[in-house]
Amino acid sequence: MVASSEENPSQALITERHVAALRRGFQDWPRRSSPPPALGDRRWTADLILATWTQAETGLPPADGSEYRVGASGGGFDRLEFRFLPESQWLPAVTPIDLSIPLNRRPCDPKIDIPIPWYGAGMSFGSVSEQVMVARVIAAQRWQTFTCTGEGGYPESLIPYRDHVITQIATGMFGIREETIQFAPIVEFKYAQGAKPGLGGHLLADKTTVAVAKMREAVPWVSLFSPFPFHSVYSVEDHRKHVDWVKTVNPQALVAVKVSTPTDIDMVAVGSYYAGAHILQIDGSYGGTGAAPEVAKKDIAMPIEYAIPKVHRYLVAEGVRDEIVVMASGGIRTAHDIAKTIALGADGCVLGTTELVALGCTRCSNCERGRGCPYGITTTDPELSLLIEPAWGADRISNVYASFQSQLCELLRRFGLTSVRALRGRTDLLRYRKPGGAIE
Amino acid sequence: MGSSSYVRYRISPQPAPDIAPHPNRFRVEVKRTRLAALLLKDLYYYHANLAVVSSRPCVYGTFSGPVGGFAVRPAFCVGCLRCTVEHPDVVQIRPNPQRARLGDSYFTPDKVDTVMQEAATGQIPVRGAGYRGAFAGQGWDSMWTDMSEIVRPTRDGIHGREFISTAVDVGERPAFLTFDAAGNPCGPVPRSLNLPIPFLFDVPAVAAESATLYRGLVEAAARLQTLAIVPVRCVLDLGLHGPAIAPLATPAEIELLQRLPGPPQVAELDAWEESAFHTIRERFPETAVFVRIPLERDLMPLVCAGVRLFHLTADYHGRCGGPFARDAIRTAHASLVKDGLREETVLIGSGGVITASDVAKAIICGLDAVALDTAVLAALQAGFEGECVSRASAVIRMPEFEPAWAAQRLTNLVAAWRDQILEILGAMGLREVRRLRGELGRAMFQEDLERDAFAGIAGFER
Repeated sequence: MVASSEENPSQALITERHVAALRRGFQDWPRRSSPPPALGDRRWTADLILATWTQAETGLPPADGSEYRVGASGGGFDRLEFRFLPESQWLPAVTPIDLSIPLNRRPCDPKIDIPIPWYGAGMSFGSVSEQVMVARVIAAQRWQTFTCTGEGGYPESLIPYRDHVITQIATGMFGIREETIQFAPIVEFKYAQGAKPGLGGHLLADKTTVAVAKMREAVPWVSLFSPFPFHSVYSVEDHRKHVDWVKTVNPQALVAVKVSTPTDIDMVAVGSYYAGAHILQIDGSYGGTGAAPEVAKKDIAMPIEYAIPKVHRYLVAEGVRDEIVVMASGGIRTAHDIAKTIALGADGCVLGTTELVALGCTRCSNCERGRGCPYGITTTDPELSLLIEPAWGADRISNVYASFQSQLCELLRRFGLTSVRALRGRTDLLRYRKPGGAIE
Repeated sequence: MGSSSYVRYRISPQPAPDIAPHPNRFRVEVKRTRLAALLLKDLYYYHANLAVVSSRPCVYGTFSGPVGGFAVRPAFCVGCLRCTVEHPDVVQIRPNPQRARLGDSYFTPDKVDTVMQEAATGQIPVRGAGYRGAFAGQGWDSMWTDMSEIVRPTRDGIHGREFISTAVDVGERPAFLTFDAAGNPCGPVPRSLNLPIPFLFDVPAVAAESATLYRGLVEAAARLQTLAIVPVRCVLDLGLHGPAIAPLATPAEIELLQRLPGPPQVAELDAWEESAFHTIRERFPETAVFVRIPLERDLMPLVCAGVRLFHLTADYHGRCGGPFARDAIRTAHASLVKDGLREETVLIGSGGVITASDVAKAIICGLDAVALDTAVLAALQAGFEGECVSRASAVIRMPEFEPAWAAQRLTNLVAAWRDQILEILGAMGLREVRRLRGELGRAMFQEDLERDAFAGIAGFER
């Protein structure tokens, strides 16, 4: 259950005081003439963070001219821009635009469509607070999309929203129970993750609280490692065995496979298809919300911008592209990133950090330090986690979704497309911006 | 090797805090009158409930002194910005401009900071919330190492029960053996020289040289069972001794090698002069003799003259007469492979290697091992004055320190770097660093990836 501070009136007032001040700050900072001097980095500039706060507040992109589309990383999405039709050929504003994508392209098994081309990334209980998990799933329910448990068990507070929860099975098998597979519409196997490619998961001892340990059926205050890889999977056939296992427990479940981005990601993709996966999630190295060695994030595995076209083209060449859904993650920050991802060849995206920024994350990178996130996001500290109230958090995430939805519709209108499905693989609608070139 | 003689290689990091003042990451600026007004207002609003009013937004202790925000502790600030988000008119957090003075344009302040943290703790830098840096960059930052979706080593395993070797052999290894009529070897014989880590310590910048630095380097090299390259004059003047010392001699100084107490395990000839090389070889037949030359130099004439052990140097920014070291190393490695000589030769490199991942990438490009230069200086809290480009020209301020402190800092640095190399090898599914050498198929280069991904996109030309 979500913790409360009813037993300690002063603690409740302390929380109230800081919650009120934080919420004022989230509203106030984007309106100021200059951002906090120490806010932001190359990938998430101060403008981008504040623009996300604005969107979380209003459901609209900022109208003050601040940059909400790209960061300043100097590469990848930040070097791609769009080639719109001449304005005279844009679709009228009243034209209905379909942003829905299917999550099952195979002829068998349940058909599930989501009305927006993204769902929430796996973030475990332990890496984030239960309040954050509930906020995310409320937003997912509101938008008829999904969020994912991550590998940390399935808190009871998620059960009312179970039709919108993806149960993740990862190598540590933490908190995996038969019933959480049975009532999941989608079950995700996490073979690897972008933030720690090839290294497995690692929840630091300080974050393995009694509640987290109980959920994971582990020992409190001990570092929990998810080994890498699944030691029972060394082939496509072994992978198939996993899929069969899930389908035996829950015949109605769709199966998603989350992998990182090695040089042979194309082979991994086609292997996942032949193993029976419905969804392939490729997770690039620059994203990830959890604490990870810097060397893993910066230097191991390729950025998602390079992996998407490689996978898309290979699946097309194999003749199976229209039978598997490719979702991309790992560094996708904005509606424009989502459109670029799809134009490069993905069906849709998986968002993680964006949701956390909506909740107030400043990307200070101290998730692993001491009690965890000072904003109550990536923490299990009983006091800090009260800073996020689930209903408030759900509204923030939902508003960002609304803003992204309207921006995507506008982009498609300018492309002359009425469906986001028609954008997939349309690299002809992209332009590579030379270094120093202005964004159009 | 018999099982009874096997001893697992371990490095023991110990805390070695900074001895020179290190600028805080952030400046914390509090407007005291506004803070007082805020507190008075909250005292009224919360009915003088001191527990509430004195609760501070910082969970790291920046305002935890007896008078809270009236006497801040900026050393504790980690830049979470919660205080300034809550009270934008009262407190402001700014990047400390003094930090921008760390390092130079190549060895950027963030990288200096990382090295210093590694040297102080011996631990791998871990951070949350994704990667914050540029998409890619020049040189080593334009390549990524591979990972394997199906490999055996695990993250807990590579630091524990499972074994990944970081040992490299930098000794001589002729392509074949020759025997006389009696069956005894009569030609060159292999002289294995195993280092348990793919690092050694290069001779430091001239401006940084001191007796304490050399003593620290040699002590660290001895602890780590690796080598410190030390000018032969310094070896003699300081009375340094031990197998960890690789004396460096110019062709004019080779006579000094005779004055060493015994033949060195390894010696390095500073610049190519054929007669000097052969003189050292004749006088010290048991010594592995490296020739130190610029990375861009054609190796074949030296190979023809009998040189097999090379120390290839780029400048401190990784440049070598134009191309970045990454490409020059690949060229050197490829030419030796093409001529069937790579297995007979050893390539040590230095210049521009300033992070653990740079080491792995340099080995992938073709080096056997890396000699650390500016990273050593950063670990010892050296201050760079202007651009630190070459050994001769770099202007460097060193703090006062004891050799034992320097040795521990370097031990910690190497421990952290070795652990990161284990992470990289583990992700790739490789069990020994020797298999990494020249393994270009397990690396990804930005230009290749970008060409494959973006070819056909308007405006993309490469």
